Amino acid sequence: MTHLDIAAAPGRGDRVTDVTELVERAARLLPEQAPLQTFVHHNTLHAFEHLPFDEAVVSAARVFGTEPFQSEAAFRDHVGSGRIRPSDIDAVAEAEAPGGAPIVPGGPTRARFLALRLRNLFEIPSGAALDWLLLETDARTRLSDLLDPRRRAELLAQAGRDWTTTPEQTARASQARLLDTLWNGLAAAAPTVPGAGAPPARGRDRILAETGTDTDELVHPLLIRLSAAFLDQGIAYWPMPERELGFLRAFRRLYGQAGGPPDRFLRGLGTELRRQEAEGWTAERTVVWALDELAVPEEARGAAIETTLLSLRGWAGMMRQFEHRPDLAPVEARAARLLDYLAVQLVLDVQAARHVMRNHPGGPATADRTTVRPGLELVYEAFVLAQLMPVDVTVLARPEHAAAWLGAVAACDETERRRLLHLAYERRHRVGALDALDAHRRFTAGTEAPPVTMQAVFCIDEREESLRRHLEEHFPQARTYGYAGFFGVAMTYLGTGEVRPRPLCPVVVTPTHLVVEEPAESRTPRQPGSRHGRGGLSLGLAVGSRTLARGSVISLGLGATQVVTLVGRCLFPRRFHRWSRRLDHDPGGGAVTRLAIERAPGAVETEDGLRRGYSVPEMTQVVSSALRTTGLGRELAPVVLIVGHGSSSLNNPHESAHDCGATGGGRGGPNARAFAAMANHPGVRAGLRDLGLDIPDGTWFVGAYHNTCDDSMTYYDEDLVPERSRHAVEEAKRIMARACVLDAHERCRRFESAPLDLPLDAALAHVESHTVDLGQPRPEYGHATNAIGVVGRRSRTRGLFLDRRAFLVSYDPEGDPSGDLLTNLLLAAGPVCAGINLEYYFSYVDPAGYGCGTKLPHNIVGLLGVMDGHASDLRTGLPWQMVEIHEPVRLLLVVETEPERLAAIVGAHAVLERLVSNGWIQLVAWSPSSDAMHVFERGGFVPYVPEGEALPTVHRSAQFYAGRREHLGFAHVTAALDTAPQPELVGEEAS
Amino acid sequence: MNDTLQRFLLLSVAGFPLGAFALMAVFAWQGRRRVERAVSTAVALAFGLATAAALTLACVMVGEGRTLVTVPVGTWFGSGESEFHLLLVGDRLSLPFAILAALLCGLIGVFSRRYLHREPGYLRFYMLLALFGAGVELVALAGALELSLVGWELAGLSSALLIAFFHERRRPVEHGLRAFLVYRACDVGLLVAVVWLHHATGSSSVAGVNGGGWALFLPPTSSGDALVVGLALLWASMGKAAQVPLGGWLPRAMEGPTPSSAVFYGAISVSMGPYLLLRTESAWSGAPGVRAAIVVVGALTAVHATLVGRTQTDIKSTLAYASMTQIGVVLVEVGFGLRYLALAHLVAHAALRTAQILRSPSLIHDHHHLEQALGAPLPPTGRHLDRLVPAGPRAWLYRYALERGYFDAWLRDHLVGGLARLVRRAESLDDRWARLLSAGDTTVPVREGRTS
Repeated sequence: MTHLDIAAAPGRGDRVTDVTELVERAARLLPEQAPLQTFVHHNTLHAFEHLPFDEAVVSAARVFGTEPFQSEAAFRDHVGSGRIRPSDIDAVAEAEAPGGAPIVPGGPTRARFLALRLRNLFEIPSGAALDWLLLETDARTRLSDLLDPRRRAELLAQAGRDWTTTPEQTARASQARLLDTLWNGLAAAAPTVPGAGAPPARGRDRILAETGTDTDELVHPLLIRLSAAFLDQGIAYWPMPERELGFLRAFRRLYGQAGGPPDRFLRGLGTELRRQEAEGWTAERTVVWALDELAVPEEARGAAIETTLLSLRGWAGMMRQFEHRPDLAPVEARAARLLDYLAVQLVLDVQAARHVMRNHPGGPATADRTTVRPGLELVYEAFVLAQLMPVDVTVLARPEHAAAWLGAVAACDETERRRLLHLAYERRHRVGALDALDAHRRFTAGTEAPPVTMQAVFCIDEREESLRRHLEEHFPQARTYGYAGFFGVAMTYLGTGEVRPRPLCPVVVTPTHLVVEEPAESRTPRQPGSRHGRGGLSLGLAVGSRTLARGSVISLGLGATQVVTLVGRCLFPRRFHRWSRRLDHDPGGGAVTRLAIERAPGAVETEDGLRRGYSVPEMTQVVSSALRTTGLGRELAPVVLIVGHGSSSLNNPHESAHDCGATGGGRGGPNARAFAAMANHPGVRAGLRDLGLDIPDGTWFVGAYHNTCDDSMTYYDEDLVPERSRHAVEEAKRIMARACVLDAHERCRRFESAPLDLPLDAALAHVESHTVDLGQPRPEYGHATNAIGVVGRRSRTRGLFLDRRAFLVSYDPEGDPSGDLLTNLLLAAGPVCAGINLEYYFSYVDPAGYGCGTKLPHNIVGLLGVMDGHASDLRTGLPWQMVEIHEPVRLLLVVETEPERLAAIVGAHAVLERLVSNGWIQLVAWSPSSDAMHVFERGGFVPYVPEGEALPTVHRSAQFYAGRREHLGFAHVTAALDTAPQPELVGEEAS
Repeated sequence: MNDTLQRFLLLSVAGFPLGAFALMAVFAWQGRRRVERAVSTAVALAFGLATAAALTLACVMVGEGRTLVTVPVGTWFGSGESEFHLLLVGDRLSLPFAILAALLCGLIGVFSRRYLHREPGYLRFYMLLALFGAGVELVALAGALELSLVGWELAGLSSALLIAFFHERRRPVEHGLRAFLVYRACDVGLLVAVVWLHHATGSSSVAGVNGGGWALFLPPTSSGDALVVGLALLWASMGKAAQVPLGGWLPRAMEGPTPSSAVFYGAISVSMGPYLLLRTESAWSGAPGVRAAIVVVGALTAVHATLVGRTQTDIKSTLAYASMTQIGVVLVEVGFGLRYLALAHLVAHAALRTAQILRSPSLIHDHHHLEQALGAPLPPTGRHLDRLVPAGPRAWLYRYALERGYFDAWLRDHLVGGLARLVRRAESLDDRWARLLSAGDTTVPVREGRTS
């Protein structure tokens, strides 16, 4: 069919729209990671959220070729180390197959079978390895080595029983005969393995099967080059010409010219592209044409488009990101369309397919796809298991019993075993956590909280857990709260040094307020000067050193100085960094600034629909909901610190992944500063009084910023602190500084680079060196190890060692009779915490498939992502160095409320319903009245019965974690619970 | 300082890295897991000591006004009329380069202790680093071309293995293999030079010093011989220095861990090409044709690489082409006989580029800070290209640059591919003959197909 026929054919228009739809459908499978500057954690398998977790991971594994759970070998180690206990396996097996009859007469029940199967994890060779085992070793004639002596004796007795007629039989011969009968019985009943089935939809896969040549090897390098050139945000000196026309047309213009590349597979491409351009083919039409050329049947188009896009999913996903969220482009949006990208890929696929088929000598190179062979692997597995399990092997000689046995073995295949082991693995964690919460409630019952003299509100981030704990331990009169780190101030923010405004709020929120940071005194908003001059100089050097003439001059002139840089960076990273910072000292940086927080009367909207600043009622609303939700408003101390957080590090393309998720991957300092300014505003305080929330005149709010990487604190607007509060603020800062030291020390236990006996005063220096070292791929461990979320009063977790693994959301159930506050909290915190937790889960269980592998060869491309070395797919997910200490369990979200209310809230909101019912998080209701816990299981809340193990009790956290690197359990830390200040603290800390 | 001590110092510059490699090899042989710290300390210390030894020697030589220290290590083999001597030489050319190489390797040794922490291939990395360093020091200090050849091969092998460091993925192995093949093809040049120099002058070792304090080889008497030797050496250095048209391996070499990319492909490995030409200048300076060829190759490379580099969108390729550009310029300087300038350029460029590649993972961070410092988005680049070149040729030139000058395609599809097609045709002819000879016998398999 020529192109004219295509144009004239009836119904062609429908097919074209079909393509758009098919692309849209396939696009949901692509990674949803934005450019690295705006990295936000999200569920890697977002597209599968409509399925139950265990189904989703398995079907995603099929689609992407990834791992659904940890490997069986890893689970075997967990069983060996006691991380999974026998009781967990039994409980999981019992829940999976309650009651029931034996699988074969005299054999185990299904639950017993599963429990035994999960205890006996052995390697099942396949293919040639299995053939060797069966033919060349005595695996078929000797009892398995895995047997315990009792079972061995039992089997030998069975062997003897059946062959009593020939007493001269040796034990060995009777053993062999017994096993032979068993094998033959099983082999006779074994089903055959079906062939691979229908041929694949995608042209490349068929060609690969037929000729053994992979057309992607030809197409991908070119496609990567083109995509990177098109999307590039400023690395290339010379940008792609005419890219404003869109990807497809820019490609046609570029490669449609005569004198094209000499690659043999690109022969004729120029002519083809010129024709398509001349006839004004749309991307849809090009795709349809290419699919026809690749002989993709109409019904297989969806599958072909899906596999084509997934073959280079990082780049395809980034095209889609640019198409859907042009506002997230780090420098400049591009006229990107996924459909254009697909059209280019398919045109190249056609070229490559033609080339390969032209040069293929002919004849299929591979075996018939529908070959059927008996499932020897299954027979072998059933054979070994029949020896291991309490079953009379002679029974299995009967075909129906053999078939039943094989069926049971096949039903518990590797994926199923890993699924069950994962449940057991999670169960141990869940039991530990819930028991600890319950035990701690009993432990603290009756203790009176000390009078409060200082309060601090942190982000719910689990990295702040340790800082909060240390703050309360060090200074028991302090009280801490957890509130999503944008503090209700959903704004677009423009700092004095920033070039473009960026939203600082959760990604699901669209900000409507613009807050600008302005210099306090000087009239000129931006002061150019030496700072800009230096910027221009370093830019000139960075660009110039890569060119010909300027590069020669620069390398001759500056090369020698770089030896000093190298020596400094390699040998003394921290000192060198400080020294170079001092040299680069910025006189403008210390200037006093203010946030333009209050909207001037009569201010108009900016062109983006943003309003400048907040009105007083809006501010009152922000502050009141924070005070009510957290319970902060019940009793206000003279100083309230509002602490936002973020992270800064060198040698880290994923820097923004360590920033605050609640601000959409930004740094939460400005939000904290804005909140404090609002809460200090006299008009707002008056408004709050009208609402029945009284902020005493003696209370002052101070905004602060915690850098989670080097554990430093920055405080804002200190010059505004009134005289009466000045002393209290200074005191609070001093206490906080101490808590930061303690926090840094606790973090260091996870870094193998820090000795286990690291002295306390060396901790800050150690974490700082991680921040500024070009050679350090682990600036911080980020959210790694996160596993728990507790929504409830801090009094329930205060003094409980949670090992930096728990998101702590302050929620005061008594102040929320209607449940509205809880609904809002769960809607905001639930998906955020689940997204973080699940991204870590997937990047850990498959670091290459879902994560982006090791950082060591990463290569930043286009300022928007990383590749593995030279010209690879764009790698999404988290690097191994970020997740290596993670424990992949689903988030255990404990909410302090009645189960009925929680069930109602979850049922009423589709977002939560999907997460909870499909098991993407584990939800627990913790009754504030009866203290009973209910776990959400299979569609409803069921009561939880604690196992009741006692927790260790220590005075300070350091006593518990000292000298240990591994995941720690829970402990009561009494220092935070004591009413009287501890004079001997200082001495203990030093130990 | 007495003579023996100076010789010992010179020997130890190459000896320490070689010893460190031997130590690592024993570790690896035993197969036991070694403490990371011990491994990296041994290697970094070896390079540190080598740097110190070379520095001391250089200072002593300057102080005593000596221009040359030679150490005969022995004779490789000889057959009466000609002998292959192994000779180390320290002079004003070799010592700066030796110091640079040892210093950079040592710094990378310290740096990688943090960078490669917990990496399963830790020991392998350090072993290869030590081997590479030893190879480079041998090339730097060799007073006999055959010894250069040994070092040349060691450095080539170890750097190809480092490109393929992450051998569980396919690409690094392919790219490592590609670099290795280019190296091997070009090593032929060095081998030819050794043999031809022997043939023409009876010796391939240095003999005497020029006024500037650079050790000299015996120049061949006829300019024809000098031309052959010079062109052979140029060919040898073109592979290592990634010159046109063989340079396609260089951006692809950025597959290993960042520190190894920084020190090898940004700095030392590519510098070995110009260094070899500087070292052997006396052997080929009799032939003006060689000078011209060097200048042409260098200039072509510089222009090609700067053009191609401007369209690269990933930071490591950009820096690889920037290196290639500067090495091309250095070759031009070598061709024009600007020895000191070339040496200074080589050393300074190596330090600059290493520092830049080490910093490359911080690019996004730096970009943000640069924007803050400028107070504006970075100005667009490449506008003058748009102004100078008319639209038609501009797009053509852009495609040329994006496709890296089509050299890869020519090499792959037409040179290597042509060879492969020839072989395939011969094979099918062979098949047909076999079928003809066993006419009627259908059981003869035509070819072993893939069965899996």
